[in-house]
Amino acid sequence: MFSLLFAPPNFVDDLLLKLFSQETVNFVVWPFIQIGAVITLIAVWALYASYLERKISAFMQARLGPMRVGKWGLLQPIADAVKLLTKEDLMPERADPYIFRFAPYIAVAATFLTFSVVPFAPNWGVITDVNIGLLLVLAVSSVGVLALILAGWSSNSKYALLGGLRSSAQMVSYEVSMGLSLVGALMFARTLSLSGIVGAQASDSVWFFLYQPLAFAIFFVSGIAENNRAPFDLPEAESELVAGFHTEYSGMRWSLFFMAEYAAMVVVAGVATTVFLGGWYFPGVLRLAGGYNNLYVFLSLFVFVVKCAVLLYLYFWFRWTFPRYRYDQLMDLGWKWLIPASLLNIVWTGLTVFTVQALDGWNNIKTIESLKGAPNLARGLNLTATGKGVAIALGWAGLLVAALFLAAVNWRSRDFNLKKQRRQVRLVDVPKGKPAVATTAATGEG
Amino acid sequence: MILSGWESVFFWVFALAALIAGLLTVMARNAVHSAMFLISTLVSVAALFILLGAEFIAGVQILVYVGGVMVLFLFVIMLVNVSAEERGGEELFNRPAQVTAAVCFAALLVFGLFYAINKSAGQFVAGGADANAEERADAQDQSRRAREAALKPSETGVSKISEDTQRVGGSLYRYGGLPFEIASVLLLVAIVGSVLLARTAKQELAADDVDPKVAEELETTGELTPAEVEEALHAHDLQV
Repeated sequence: MFSLLFAPPNFVDDLLLKLFSQETVNFVVWPFIQIGAVITLIAVWALYASYLERKISAFMQARLGPMRVGKWGLLQPIADAVKLLTKEDLMPERADPYIFRFAPYIAVAATFLTFSVVPFAPNWGVITDVNIGLLLVLAVSSVGVLALILAGWSSNSKYALLGGLRSSAQMVSYEVSMGLSLVGALMFARTLSLSGIVGAQASDSVWFFLYQPLAFAIFFVSGIAENNRAPFDLPEAESELVAGFHTEYSGMRWSLFFMAEYAAMVVVAGVATTVFLGGWYFPGVLRLAGGYNNLYVFLSLFVFVVKCAVLLYLYFWFRWTFPRYRYDQLMDLGWKWLIPASLLNIVWTGLTVFTVQALDGWNNIKTIESLKGAPNLARGLNLTATGKGVAIALGWAGLLVAALFLAAVNWRSRDFNLKKQRRQVRLVDVPKGKPAVATTAATGEG
Repeated sequence: MILSGWESVFFWVFALAALIAGLLTVMARNAVHSAMFLISTLVSVAALFILLGAEFIAGVQILVYVGGVMVLFLFVIMLVNVSAEERGGEELFNRPAQVTAAVCFAALLVFGLFYAINKSAGQFVAGGADANAEERADAQDQSRRAREAALKPSETGVSKISEDTQRVGGSLYRYGGLPFEIASVLLLVAIVGSVLLARTAKQELAADDVDPKVAEELETTGELTPAEVEEALHAHDLQV
């Protein structure tokens, strides 16, 4: 084990090169090793997330949780998995057989596909690094909605259909604020490649959470809603809809939905970590690794996992802290609060970047590091300490601005009445008993 | 676009998948199945965009069409009862007039396609098919390979980063600013219009916090008869 950690960087590569050609190793063998490792780890996580969920809820309610199977109930998920695998696979009468069978696979595939671009660690800790990394995450996770809708529709059950309709409305709404909240961070990173975003934070040695506190909050709340987790678990609200879109599923197909849900939590936590919390970067890790490449990768991986774990704990924490939202409250939060706030964040971040650039050279203030040669887009803005200070101050001031802006936008939104508005438009200068004309302009002559 | 090696394999796979799924879209009896085949077509076309080196367009294609438009399509299909056609065995679009219209349209499309191919072929290869065609293709292939080799490696060095996204952004906002804004205003108008159209007078009366004056006014203006107003006001009353 230790010999592997402190081995020269190309140790495994050399071993593989004895068996295959360089091209095969680069484009076939390595990716397959990485994909296999990621799928295994995420599947184990999905298995043990149910254990964590029960243990953490027990902790919050002063109970013990599962204790019977194995030490501290540690083998409970395995027992559950065996139970699910041996359960009968039921299908309701007159359900659409093809779509009913196919829907769980869409959910799992859409979620696992996003892991291909998430940078878990530097060097070989990332499967692929594409220029549209962040866009790919958003695009593929938006395909996940299809699984829920199709599962709900194909079950030929009213509860499932209602769950499917709710989930599509909810996920389409929250996707908007989720995508828009990332734009601010991209203005600092200046690339869509996820590894590039981590690189931008590492080269500035600052987490974008400091520049973008508002965007981080919006992204995380939208992420919870996108995952259908409590308090936004309306598509599967057990008190109203039995189990929502997966009411009619049983056995392994049912557990595929749960696997997708727990994996999607990791996707949101991983993207939040990468974009706002510096990803695998932590100051001093490179020096600690002391030139051992593999050790550096493992330490970075550890940093990434710890950051993700903090966010994932928040998921469980929120679940047992907040009551479920009502449907109209959910839509209010999405459309009246999160989307205006994320739009404001884009404008405010634009102003911040402009201010930082305009300050450079004014009264001998230096905000942007002068670089030798051509500026490298993927390296972020290259701010000096002063520049970072200004950007951070403006970023946190943005919270106050957003509070004022949202208060102004939603001022009296509760008693805004579309009916009243229309009546006022219709009744200008119309004598009683005469037919009304639709527009105010036409009634002027009457 | 010059294909070589695995690229050509992927091109043929995705091109055929797009064509077959497109055909199945119009042939499927069930509307949801049609939507699924349409999604397959869109995903295959996105894969073709990636082969062309337009990753950004591919990502946006999936995000907008599959994640947005098709989700709303399915939303509507699920709400509208479409089971009548799918259960019955009658022929759906096989009347003589329908077949004639389809054949005419197909002929127009094929004609347009051939015309476009001939025209562009004239541009690239002067004087039709000449002996230099293969040579030119090789030259194009080489120049493309050189361009790809010149791309800078990504942060982690596992792949090359193209400037596609930056190019799209730059040209969209530099040269296409006005059309972009016009399109966004058009969408806004569509949203406001759909909200106004969706709320009819009857629906407004059926809401539980309706102003009594509205009902009175609708009656006096003659927009609704008193019976209709009464019915709409009690549309959601519980039948005990």
